[in-house]
Amino acid sequence: MTTSSEVFAPSAAGAAGRRDPSLPFLIGGLVLLAVSIGLLFTGSAADPVRPFLGYLVGLTFWTSILVGMLFLVMIWWMFDSGWSVIIRRQMEFFLVGFVVIAVAFLPLVFLAISGSDVVAWTWIDETREKPGTFGMVAEDTLFLAKAAYLNVPFFTARYILIFAAWIGLAFLLRQWSFRMDETGDHKYVLWSRRLSAVGLFVAALVTTMAAMDWFMTLNYHWFSTMYGIWFFSASMRAALAATVLILFWQAGRKEGLRGLIQPTHFYFMGCLLLAFTVFWAYISFSQYFLIYSANIPEVTFWYNIREKSVDGSLNAWWWVSMALIFLHFLVPFLFLLFHKNKFGKPLIFIAVWILFFHIIDIYWNILPQKLSAEGLLGYTERGFVPHLTDLTAFLAVGALVIWAFLRSASKHRPIPIRDPRISESLNLHE
Amino acid sequence: MPRAPIIENARSFAWITDKVCGIVEGRAPRWWWIGFILSGMLASFTLMGLIYLTAVGVGVWGLSHPVFWGWAIINFVFWIGIGHAGTLISAILCLLKQKWRTSINRAAEAMTIFAVACAGIFPLFHVGRVWFGWWLFPLPNSNVIWPNYRSPLEWDVFAVSTYGTVSLLFWYMGMIPDLATLRDRVTMVYEKRAAEAKTAFAKSFEFAFYQFRRVFYGVLAMGWRGSNRHWSNYEMAYLLLAGLSTPLVLSVHTVVSFDFAVSHLPGWHATIFPPYFVAGAIFSGFGMVLTLMLPLRALFGLHDLITQYHIDCMCKICLATGSMVGYAYAIEFFIAWYGANPFEAFAFVNRAFGQYAWAYWIMITCNVISPQFFWFKWARSKLWLVWILSIFINVGMWFERFVITVTSLANDFLPANWNYYSPTAVDIFTFMGTFGLFGVLFLLFLRFLPLLAFAEIKSVSPQADVHGHAHGNTDKAH
Repeated sequence: MTTSSEVFAPSAAGAAGRRDPSLPFLIGGLVLLAVSIGLLFTGSAADPVRPFLGYLVGLTFWTSILVGMLFLVMIWWMFDSGWSVIIRRQMEFFLVGFVVIAVAFLPLVFLAISGSDVVAWTWIDETREKPGTFGMVAEDTLFLAKAAYLNVPFFTARYILIFAAWIGLAFLLRQWSFRMDETGDHKYVLWSRRLSAVGLFVAALVTTMAAMDWFMTLNYHWFSTMYGIWFFSASMRAALAATVLILFWQAGRKEGLRGLIQPTHFYFMGCLLLAFTVFWAYISFSQYFLIYSANIPEVTFWYNIREKSVDGSLNAWWWVSMALIFLHFLVPFLFLLFHKNKFGKPLIFIAVWILFFHIIDIYWNILPQKLSAEGLLGYTERGFVPHLTDLTAFLAVGALVIWAFLRSASKHRPIPIRDPRISESLNLHE
Repeated sequence: MPRAPIIENARSFAWITDKVCGIVEGRAPRWWWIGFILSGMLASFTLMGLIYLTAVGVGVWGLSHPVFWGWAIINFVFWIGIGHAGTLISAILCLLKQKWRTSINRAAEAMTIFAVACAGIFPLFHVGRVWFGWWLFPLPNSNVIWPNYRSPLEWDVFAVSTYGTVSLLFWYMGMIPDLATLRDRVTMVYEKRAAEAKTAFAKSFEFAFYQFRRVFYGVLAMGWRGSNRHWSNYEMAYLLLAGLSTPLVLSVHTVVSFDFAVSHLPGWHATIFPPYFVAGAIFSGFGMVLTLMLPLRALFGLHDLITQYHIDCMCKICLATGSMVGYAYAIEFFIAWYGANPFEAFAFVNRAFGQYAWAYWIMITCNVISPQFFWFKWARSKLWLVWILSIFINVGMWFERFVITVTSLANDFLPANWNYYSPTAVDIFTFMGTFGLFGVLFLLFLRFLPLLAFAEIKSVSPQADVHGHAHGNTDKAH
């Protein structure tokens, strides 16, 4: 391979002499994180766990972007993809954020270990009320049947396993790619491919585990075999949308991708965004439809509380559900069908749109839960009411992830100049 | 780090044309006649089975309480699944700009059409009175009986017929430039063959055959002249059909999965069924493509057009989709336990350790374990091993449908209902015969239609690379 740094490295691609713009994000992120942790204990008597869920929503949004990016990087390695090489590098910068997420997740784990009342996973404390019915968790047949999985030590072990896998994969893929910049040794390509082959299996396992542990077990009565794939599909969409925004930001920077990135890169990202918009809808619809159609009460309640109050009237979640169908699927789907919308401002617009409704999707998956039993069969469910933690946690984790990203981006070259496929990526055309 | 060439030995346009057209224009080899006769004999089993069933009723199948869905639905899902690789290769890989698909898409699409034909037999005849089959369509009849639109079996009618129609159109439309080439060579081929004919009968036969080929390819080529406008329209139509076919690949097997998943039956009602079925279908389809293409590659000497790179790609898709299926098996098992529904848990434990455990472990071995060999280059390069593994995949995917269908029904909610399901000879012969039918159709395809999409292959061949380089890259194909 004749590609060399002399040919393709723009003057700005050197590593030295950068201004570090990341410090305000670090300070702001730490302050907001401290505020968010403090806010965890401000839940009302009727709903003490509400701030915890807001924190979880904020964390999940950024986690999903990182998870999607990790999958994309590995998939591109596996496919020996040429066009995506300079995009992959932006994701490699971002993947350092897994460490931030792991740290920001720690308060939730510690609270779970301490058995605190503010933790939303009802099953961590057997003296709590069963979700939406009378009696304690300890007396719940369903809990007892699942106790081998739903216990704090195992949960903590899984937390460690999940982040160890994500961080380990991200660390190695980043390091090998950066090292190739310096040495030009293509053995790292083979290493990365091999790691990705195994890594996709590992990531599929731990991502499923994360989706089940953190979201599905919020009501441990409910279950769906599709749930891990839902989180994967949502993550892929979020990652693609976030990457589009990063690419536009980098495209305007002299020390970024200005003059290097082609319109076709955006077009291809738009195509992938369309594909995963359909995939997300396919997965979400299939899960809904099969549960609706079989109409088995042990699982339908999950959708019921996202549609109606116990008295049969439509609740606020119904409108959110409609928004997900029409605004999170239909609008981006129709919009992205058009060729001209996969470039420039239309693409930025739809990426922001998708990310906004991605938060709503996460909200919709995490927040609606049965709160307390009322009467023999009735229950109240948590309404669609924002909480300050939703905002602070989202901003805190986001600021810290962006801080980590900027730091990483300022330390390394904006494109993998010695990647064997770099010329394919730089000379991309439809 | 150069990319593997898609066409080896820098074959020219002329060589590619002669190679692929030669399969159709040469005389049928002896193995073709043997295969055709054997396939025809095998296909007669299906014919006899269906005649017997029509005369006597569906009781001739092994269906009995509580297993009222037996081999018929298994065979239907098996054949429909086989077809998926063709559409995936022609549509999805086209949208993904995977150029290696050009060497295998034609045969895989043909496989799709014939597999759908084999699949359609079973739901059609399972209605018993096959002459009322048209009631499946929403046409008012004398008794004003309308189909039950809430049944996924009814959705199958629409899904499969749409899929079959679009696949057929896609296959045919893609063939037009190649058919035109064959048409243009008819006279040349006739002159050559007529000169070789020694007896008057042989000369007459050659003339009749020439007339037939002239009309056959002339009509099918639809006046194709290879003009710029023709190619422009062709490319656009191809892209549109690829866009239309892509959701169809997903929807057909999704609807097939709904046949099971909308029910309450333990082992059937799982939300993961739609993507799990689609992955399984693509897995089985690629298994069948390997099963067919490896011998054809050797028989027709197509090593430069279907290279080790193509085989590697197909093996890797089998590995990926087989592993997805393995993921689905695992998550189903976990949720069966986690869901804490004793019936669901029993269904899965029963699958693995009950009276049908043999079928379950055949399924696991063939579908999850056997594709893991494809991790290794040495395994992918030993074509006899790849071929054996592809047979394993075909077998495993049939058993997957057997395990899903039969184990859940045979041991349902009430132990008093339980029964051991066995197929009858009619079941077995009718199914085996469909391989004969498939073989007959595929062998006819080999003789009369271009096996490889050579117009498309030329576009990815070294001769088509007018620059002679790829932007500073030393390789020619990317």
